[in-house]
Amino acid sequence: MSSPGTGVVLDDVRVEFRSSGRDGPVVAVDGITQEIPAGGFVSVVGPSGCGKSTLLSVIAGLRAATSGSVRINGRTVTGPDRDVGVMFQEDSVLPWKNVTDNVRFPLQIARVPRAGRPRLGPGHRPGRAAARRRIAQRAQEAIDLVGLGGFERRYPAELSGGMRQRVALARTLAMRPSVLLMDEPFAALDQQTRLLLGAEVRRIWGETHQTVLFVTHDISEAILLSQQVWVMSYRPGTILDVVDVDLPADRDASVVSTPRFNALHNRIWERLRTEAMRGFAQENRFPA
Amino acid sequence: MNVRAPDTPGARRPSVSRAPRRPWSGLAGAPAAVVLMVLAGVVAEVGAAAAWWAPDVLPAPSDLLPAAARIAGSPRFWQDALRTGAELLLSCVFGVVAGLGLGVAFWKAPGAGRVFEPYLVSFYAVPLVLFYPIAIVLIGINQWSVVVLASIMTAIPMTLNTWTGLRAIPPVYLRLAASIGCSRSQTLFRVALPAAAPYVVAGLRLGVAYALIGTVAMEFTTAQAGLGYQVRYLYESFDAVGMYAYILVIVAVSVLLTAVLEIAERLLPRGRDT
Repeated sequence: MSSPGTGVVLDDVRVEFRSSGRDGPVVAVDGITQEIPAGGFVSVVGPSGCGKSTLLSVIAGLRAATSGSVRINGRTVTGPDRDVGVMFQEDSVLPWKNVTDNVRFPLQIARVPRAGRPRLGPGHRPGRAAARRRIAQRAQEAIDLVGLGGFERRYPAELSGGMRQRVALARTLAMRPSVLLMDEPFAALDQQTRLLLGAEVRRIWGETHQTVLFVTHDISEAILLSQQVWVMSYRPGTILDVVDVDLPADRDASVVSTPRFNALHNRIWERLRTEAMRGFAQENRFPA
Repeated sequence: MNVRAPDTPGARRPSVSRAPRRPWSGLAGAPAAVVLMVLAGVVAEVGAAAAWWAPDVLPAPSDLLPAAARIAGSPRFWQDALRTGAELLLSCVFGVVAGLGLGVAFWKAPGAGRVFEPYLVSFYAVPLVLFYPIAIVLIGINQWSVVVLASIMTAIPMTLNTWTGLRAIPPVYLRLAASIGCSRSQTLFRVALPAAAPYVVAGLRLGVAYALIGTVAMEFTTAQAGLGYQVRYLYESFDAVGMYAYILVIVAVSVLLTAVLEIAERLLPRGRDT
């Protein structure tokens, strides 16, 4: 269903960091060439420190690649794009805004052009009230979509970590991005909450058909959620394996007991195990 | 890791119940304060009547209050109060604006911040009132020398607190701002400064207190008018009753300022407990 050139196209993306040590630059991402078709759901798994978050930052336009390019729906990424929604691992819900105001925030920012808008008489511009109504409506839709109805006036301090990530998800979805980048969004949550929120993300993806790149270190989560799993190596980060998840589209958490799920899990784990050990050895300065 | 009930909407987290934050709840101690003040007044009255101390040391409240009322009715008092009030207001405005600006500038240019931080921090310990003679030489004996020094005293805690607050923002807030396409000013005014607000407000409270201390102390030393000047003048002319009346006024002003700032702080958007 995807026409060529749509979705996310990575062309030989390489990212180096200047390191403080004498070993020269650290290569976080080393020449990744991959493609996510429009409407596809891809997970990236890899050991900690493998550069999967770096890769996501590059796709989001938050960090420039050292070389190579990223194209989203045919356009080369040069900076953050409102058509690309990002969800972070850390709690990014703004504590001084209630749920509704958090979800409305990017919509309000998007309404104001970057160069600043002409000021003609405060509050008397035609279309202003209509714009506010539109923002309110879109925010409410996103809040309902993630199941936060009834919590609109709550402040983040009154919500659990899982609920706050729902707010962050609603805030990202309210922009209606065509591409959704999720950087270990549920890593800080407990297991049950993760399972529930993962199912929610999959349900929402089924409704919105966005292109999703989901970064995680949890193999089961990656298999459960996505159509395709990219297995990433420890530094320098390359894609070791691309695994198509041929499980039923309407799967739920019960597929974890099927032989097919186990086969996929084992294949990914075999690939990851040596990488994880290599990373562990390097980070802890053991002889590899 | 603590076990938590499955996170479904409608299932509320068993959170510690927080006392509702009302702007005036800090004034709940008001009756106690009134009782204490009345008690102190009674002790002062009894002590003065029994001649436990000379009336010049601490006049009886029965002498003090009529004197205070008389002073409050005199045009001279209002001139002085106006002058001190104007100096205080100007110092607060200049100091707060300068402190905010410097705090933001140091945050944006960490190199400059690192250069100036030791001086700012050590200025905390320097009684800036000492520089009043220099200010007089540079500016002259007028209210501007008071305003300039009091502004500097206000700007120092404002700068340090704004800067500290900005440095303490979770980095993810700034990545969020970048990812949703905030401009630089939107990032500053809609994300960074609100996130730093608790620190900024603490700096504001310190700064206002410093402005009052600076203004009164400098009037006390050299100025030719103002509430601080009156305290010294009456002290030098052995008018203990008048002096205490002015001191009462200054204390009342500072209590009022503190209360106003406290209420303002409570009116800040809530939910910063985490």
